[in-house]
Amino acid sequence: MVGTILLHFGIALIATLAFAILFQAPKSEWMLCGLTGGVGWVVYESLQLQGWHLMLSTIVAALILTILSRIFAVLRKHPVTVYLLSGIFPLVPGAGIYYTVFYMISGNMDMFSVKGRETIETAGAIVIGIILAMGLPQVWLNYLAKKEKK
Amino acid sequence: MNETRDILTLAVEIGDAMLQNGGEIYRVEDTVMKIMAAYQLEDYDVYVLSNGIFASANEGKEDACSMIRHVPLGSVNLLKISKLNQLARDICAKKCTIPEAWECLDAVIHHKKDPLWIRVLCTGIGSGGFAILFGANVLEGIIALGIGLLLQLLMLWFEKHEVGRFANLLICSIFVTALSLLPMSMGLPVSQDKIVIGCIMPLVPGIAFTTSIRDFYNSDYLSGLIHLLDALLTALFISVGVGLTIYIYQSMGGVL
Repeated sequence: MVGTILLHFGIALIATLAFAILFQAPKSEWMLCGLTGGVGWVVYESLQLQGWHLMLSTIVAALILTILSRIFAVLRKHPVTVYLLSGIFPLVPGAGIYYTVFYMISGNMDMFSVKGRETIETAGAIVIGIILAMGLPQVWLNYLAKKEKK
Repeated sequence: MNETRDILTLAVEIGDAMLQNGGEIYRVEDTVMKIMAAYQLEDYDVYVLSNGIFASANEGKEDACSMIRHVPLGSVNLLKISKLNQLARDICAKKCTIPEAWECLDAVIHHKKDPLWIRVLCTGIGSGGFAILFGANVLEGIIALGIGLLLQLLMLWFEKHEVGRFANLLICSIFVTALSLLPMSMGLPVSQDKIVIGCIMPLVPGIAFTTSIRDFYNSDYLSGLIHLLDALLTALFISVGVGLTIYIYQSMGGVL
């Protein structure tokens, strides 16, 4: 199981990295963008494997990856946007959108409502995660950066 | 007397460039304000929306001037945001005269994009990677990668011919779904859903959605709404494209 998670970490990292390049992230930050996405995905996946609720795991994953983006932003003196916009992608409910439409077209209304709800829940969870993480005082992060320099 | 206008123009131009490349409202507003303060303007004000900038300076004086910019929603360019941010920092640290700042801004705006093949390749890798992440096996991942490559080629062609954004989205999602049905119809042992999911990832509105959240967080409700609407419409158009294709396939007797 650890092996699978490590493998998925690598894949999430590469996929996020590819998207970061697509959004023209600065070359020096490519790896960190990828790392943000990889960490976000691994947190999400491990919590799901532990049987956590979809929404809760997404909240925690979004929270951690946003804090990570903010830490990178302080350490590397780039806007948070650089890491956050790339890193959030593995959590975006692309699969949810697809299955919602698929079941709607197929006329399976039970699954349609399940998947539709999941998609909205995931989106809501991302909102909560990001907002919680943005709520941390900037001073804490600056303190972290100072400590790093010493 | 011209100086006020010069400074205001510079500040607004920098803000304009940031906004166009996907900077969030709060940062743009903050940057424009700080630049004007750094060049010793007094009595200035800025209001930024996700598609416009309004700024004025020295209102009570003789050289009063104001500026309005319409900034259409553009595609994200993280490098430019980052560089403009650095430029603003330099200006605030008084490391930069006005002509130097103009030169620097010009360099950033005309910074060359990555060669097209890199974008094509990255879309492919991203599509394949996300397909595998959502449960595809290696073969399905490779197919998703291939479709991703073609998708970006199509998107580049649309960009060149200035096809409208929503038509672009609709056609792209139809294209992706149709192509993903192909290998399965040819009898390859693959499931189509994982492939489509990977391939619509380059289209999904992750950026608009995230930007919208951050705008709401900073109390820029109107801009947050604009971005949210953008995200919802994007998701809607992808859904319509995917749904339409599946519908046609199923009506033709295809089984999924």
